[in-house]
Amino acid sequence: MVNVPVPERYESPHMKLDTSTDPQVGFRPPGELDLAAALARYDGPFTRRDAAHLLRRAGFGSTASEVDTWASFGMNGAVDALLHPAQPDVAFDDYPDSTALFDPKTRNITAQMWWLDRMLRTQHPLVEKMTLFWHGHFATSYRKVPANLMVQQIDLFRDQALGHFGQLLLAVSKDPAMLVWLDNRYNNKAHPNENYAREVMELFALGLGNYTEDDVKNAARAFTGWTLDKNQSFIFRPNQHDDDPKTFLGRTGNFDGADIVSIIISQPIHQRFICRKLLEFFVYSDPEPELVDALASTYALSGGDIAKTVGTILRSNVFYSPRAYRALPKSPIEFVIGTLRFMNVRKVPKDTVAWLQRMGQEPLAPPSVKGWDGGPTWINTGTLLARFNYVNRVVKASPPAAPAGAMSAAPAVDLDTYAAFTPDDVVRQAGGMDSDRVLEAIVRDAIQDDLTSDVRETMRDYLDSKNATLPTPLGPENYQDKIRGALALVLNLPSNQLN
Amino acid sequence: MASRRSFISKGLGVAVLGGTLPSFLRTAAFAQPLPALGSSVDPDNVLLVIQMGGGNDGLNTIVPYSDDAYHRVRPVIGIPEQSVIKIDDRIGLNPVMTGLDDLYKDGNVAIVQAVGYPNPNRSHFEATQIWETASPENPVSSGWLGRYLDRTVSPRDAADPNHIFTAVALGDTVPTALIAQHVDVPAIGALNAFAYNAGRDASSKTTAGVLYDGAKPGQSPYLSLLETTARNALHGGDELRAKIASYKPAVTYPKDAFSQQLQLAAQIVASRVGTRIIFVSIGSFDTHAGQRAQQDRLLGYLSQGLRAFYTDLAAHGLADNVLAMTFSEFGRRVQQNASNGTDHGTAMPLFIVGGKVKGGVYGQHPSLTDLDRNGDLKYALDFRAAYATVLARWLGHDPSGIIAGTYDTVAFI
Repeated sequence: MVNVPVPERYESPHMKLDTSTDPQVGFRPPGELDLAAALARYDGPFTRRDAAHLLRRAGFGSTASEVDTWASFGMNGAVDALLHPAQPDVAFDDYPDSTALFDPKTRNITAQMWWLDRMLRTQHPLVEKMTLFWHGHFATSYRKVPANLMVQQIDLFRDQALGHFGQLLLAVSKDPAMLVWLDNRYNNKAHPNENYAREVMELFALGLGNYTEDDVKNAARAFTGWTLDKNQSFIFRPNQHDDDPKTFLGRTGNFDGADIVSIIISQPIHQRFICRKLLEFFVYSDPEPELVDALASTYALSGGDIAKTVGTILRSNVFYSPRAYRALPKSPIEFVIGTLRFMNVRKVPKDTVAWLQRMGQEPLAPPSVKGWDGGPTWINTGTLLARFNYVNRVVKASPPAAPAGAMSAAPAVDLDTYAAFTPDDVVRQAGGMDSDRVLEAIVRDAIQDDLTSDVRETMRDYLDSKNATLPTPLGPENYQDKIRGALALVLNLPSNQLN
Repeated sequence: MASRRSFISKGLGVAVLGGTLPSFLRTAAFAQPLPALGSSVDPDNVLLVIQMGGGNDGLNTIVPYSDDAYHRVRPVIGIPEQSVIKIDDRIGLNPVMTGLDDLYKDGNVAIVQAVGYPNPNRSHFEATQIWETASPENPVSSGWLGRYLDRTVSPRDAADPNHIFTAVALGDTVPTALIAQHVDVPAIGALNAFAYNAGRDASSKTTAGVLYDGAKPGQSPYLSLLETTARNALHGGDELRAKIASYKPAVTYPKDAFSQQLQLAAQIVASRVGTRIIFVSIGSFDTHAGQRAQQDRLLGYLSQGLRAFYTDLAAHGLADNVLAMTFSEFGRRVQQNASNGTDHGTAMPLFIVGGKVKGGVYGQHPSLTDLDRNGDLKYALDFRAAYATVLARWLGHDPSGIIAGTYDTVAFI
């Protein structure tokens, strides 16, 4: 590695963010941005709704009682706890078997279930949420990469989830899964392969239109010799590396891959590129360019510190504004893990990956190098039916009653894959089986009262109606089915499709 | 359909390419001027796209049985001349494909030889993306059929439960080929699964419908999208089930999953819910080891399934309204490997099937000795020319704007 000269601000006039292929454009919430206050620290009240909003965006949702706990921390306390967890996370090594994960024979489903379990049980939700963000950003798929390398890559994202972007990008450039995914393992002096060099600029750091074909060629030459050894570990092979001078983004030197990474991240357009993506993930679709610029300044001042940048977002006025509230559709993973967490299911049901496929977000299998498009593309008839039916399946399933003969050889039921949150809990919270109070408890716990009076009326009819399947009003003989049914309906409401 | 078919297959003796034509005619017959768009195209035409996932070995599908080189490179998995179903004095069908042979003899099958594209990709995933987006040069997120839908379905129709079956993906997921900007394509694994399922709790569905119908648009710009989509999802499946109730298959379809999906396809066509495109998959053709057993089984499903499908459609008077087109992400290597299989290769044949297809063989069988620099089959026809042909001549839509570049259409329709 040569010393890159102290970056002078290099930005040609045509550098700008190309948002023409972003399907979220057009889904910016109505209303005006108050730019002066947007990123200033929020100092209003921190209610249950705010705490639930924070836990959905910065994590994967929670039980109702966790919302109460986090609300009691206050906004600053809650964000600090997310950014800098005081306690080590729960132990995961028991599931399924940590050594098996790194075996080249690991199956895709094993790796997927390992990660979903992390998301479900972690007590460091923001770290895992950022891990998912990086997975979508550096979209790599088991369809080309062995599962054990995918696991290794997810571990890398988790280790550096809230670190420095420059370090992360350098580590990703040497990551075995990435070297396979974008073919840099075949990139050598005699036959340069431009795949990684192009995507590192187009998809990971700068965006389309902010580099030339010559920049791609020269970056590819700088990454020559960054490859894999026979154990699938990163190795630099000097004899395959192109040592001649390269000109890249206006600078000339005998650059290697690390130099390319530092030059890329010194581009102001990079700061806006990454900040826009963080705002679309955490705040709302198609954020105003002025808001992107404001966050880009924070990011630049922090030296590319992800924790500081995300912290600024999570403490900001704009994050707690009505414009940001329930403004984004939940991704399928957010929806599924959120449902399991709310229902207090302790173990991810086995068929969950198949459901996530139907919903359009199979973990470790983004549809292309661009990752998931998100926004409106999450919502179609098939994916919405899958969401409805998954909720119905999880919420309405109760463990089979123990067989009458205790010594029966019936197959063991894994109670952890069933909801530990039961209709009895709802009745206890409601203080009785009165349908109004049961409904209040459900809508308060599940969706923080985000519903219209029409919906309340329809739900009350459901609990009290005389219909063919549940023909009597809510009462001791039917409360199990009725309350599960009402919970499922509430979790399938439009507001619960939104984060 | 049979009488008109036999007339066409005889009448096209010159335009249809076999191995005996001089090469200038072969090249010329690939090219055809575009018809006046929309003029001669039946608005009820349905395109059935069949994905042969995993990379189908073309050389054991359309077998060059008279070529010594074929038997030399495939001493174990090569198909001997006496078992091939002969098409002409050089090539024949895999022996399991008796069903497709019946359709071929009726003049309802076009075999399009050596289809591919420049700088072929050998990754399943990337090559599939290339075929489904029809954009080998730069990755795009919309599929080629998705772009067709965006240009032909108005936003109003896209939001109407009565129009949600313009395109249907049979299976659990919507393939990239059908990813559109504003048209939502339902994935239907089974008719019963395309439904709100609340078990015994029938009132749950009614209530869910009321909840979504009655929900007031709020602050989020996503609310109206959610409401429209939920309405389509909750009512669309019922609509389809109601219309399909009267359909009775005229044949017994084979029991395999692919043939069963074809029966669902026939049901959808027969129930006339405005469907133009149906997508179905069969696989896996990724035959790295023990190829003959695996590929023959799947080609049997494909072939017998298609015969049942077209017999059924003919009985319903619909065989002329459905055009089936196969594709696979790549063909396979010329040489068998050490496990009696074949590895990822390049060009492969496509089948185009239907009552209005001009049956025959289009293009020459790829040479097994004149290979590309990696030792793989050279392609003769860009797959985008086949797509352009289907768009222009079957769906009546100008391919430009959907397929980048200009391609001559092929005479198979």
